[in-house]
Amino acid sequence: MTAVFDRDALSEALGQTGQGDRAAFRRVYEATSAKLMGVCLRILSDRQLAEDVMQDIYLTVWNKAASFDPARASPITWLVTIARNRSIDRLRAGGVARNSVPVDAAYDLADDGPSALEQVQLADEAGRLGVCLDELDEKVSRVIRTAFFEGVTYEVLAQREETPLGTMKSWIRRGLLKLRSCLEQ
Amino acid sequence: MTASDHDDRIARAGEYALRVLDPAEEAEARAEAARDPAFGAEVDRWNSRLSQLADGIAPVEPSPGLWPRILAVTGVAANDNAVRFWRRWAIGSTGLLAASLVAVVVMVSRPEPVITTPPAPTASLTRVATLKLDNGAAAMTLVYDSATGELYLAPTSEMEGDTRIPHLWLVMPDNAGVQLVGAIDGHDTSRHNLQGVMVGQATQAIAVAVSMEQPGHTPHADHPDGPVVAQGEFQPL
Repeated sequence: MTAVFDRDALSEALGQTGQGDRAAFRRVYEATSAKLMGVCLRILSDRQLAEDVMQDIYLTVWNKAASFDPARASPITWLVTIARNRSIDRLRAGGVARNSVPVDAAYDLADDGPSALEQVQLADEAGRLGVCLDELDEKVSRVIRTAFFEGVTYEVLAQREETPLGTMKSWIRRGLLKLRSCLEQ
Repeated sequence: MTASDHDDRIARAGEYALRVLDPAEEAEARAEAARDPAFGAEVDRWNSRLSQLADGIAPVEPSPGLWPRILAVTGVAANDNAVRFWRRWAIGSTGLLAASLVAVVVMVSRPEPVITTPPAPTASLTRVATLKLDNGAAAMTLVYDSATGELYLAPTSEMEGDTRIPHLWLVMPDNAGVQLVGAIDGHDTSRHNLQGVMVGQATQAIAVAVSMEQPGHTPHADHPDGPVVAQGEFQPL
């Protein structure tokens, strides 16, 4: 079950899935489902809901694997992006009663868990983003992480931080540009 | 394009990828990404950068029932075993379920099955079953929605090459026997809508089974005439 897949093997399996290869689809599922379930659960905080979204995600993977382009994205980026976006769509569509978990607590949880690398070898740059985020102002780094992990909008972030909406937008926009420069160094 | 326009565009691609925009702004950015490949590529780059944050999320195993659900909605059934069981399957089955079916036939002497009206299901309850052969290979995935009576069947290619007609059976709890659902397509996915008492029976059934019947022959509703070749327990989702 815990097949270790490197980026090339996962790309290849996705490509085969795009050609209707059922065994390859199963390999993609086995290599990535725990990772994507973690992402869905992090955003939705409800196992049942997360599994409903997972069903949609893998239906999308099955239908769209042919459009996956390894030159444009790593396979795990492609999958994580689908998982995160689908979870956020569901969160916003359905008035999900979400128990907000402080970002710090989420980090403790993640740090104690098994390494994601046990299942899927993620982006080669993994870790670099964390370094660059830590170079940002602490509150800016915090709200970017919260936005990523909880799928909340500017408006919600502004309310939580008790900051005007315009200020929140400016924090994040400037933070993103700094992040980009840092990552491109 | 000035340097600040350029930065603005990159930041907008970033906030779109991060999903912090309100619905109207998000729709606008989505439209831009669709019509402008350069903006779309910028969004891809942000997704690539931001997805690294997912490294900090601990993996969580989904429940074992998820994969059968995915198989059902994709119309794909697992087929890791290349051997076509229908060709090598000998007439008759020594499986436990087959034995219990024989016992049921002996016990139930009335030709028409006695059907007790079950309570109508009030909430949606999706049930799945993977019907397996004696050797453990999956023959079919079944998904049933008790709220709508909708039954979805996804056979594997294990069913190919047999001229007999597969029939689906419900195995009822408390030794209440079996109930014929009907002939099914053993080669392709199919949808059925159960009607009347069958809706409740499928909600109560503990397992499902497939028997192989001769073409043109319909068995009595309470016992198969051909061999029972595959079976699987119902699992709630």
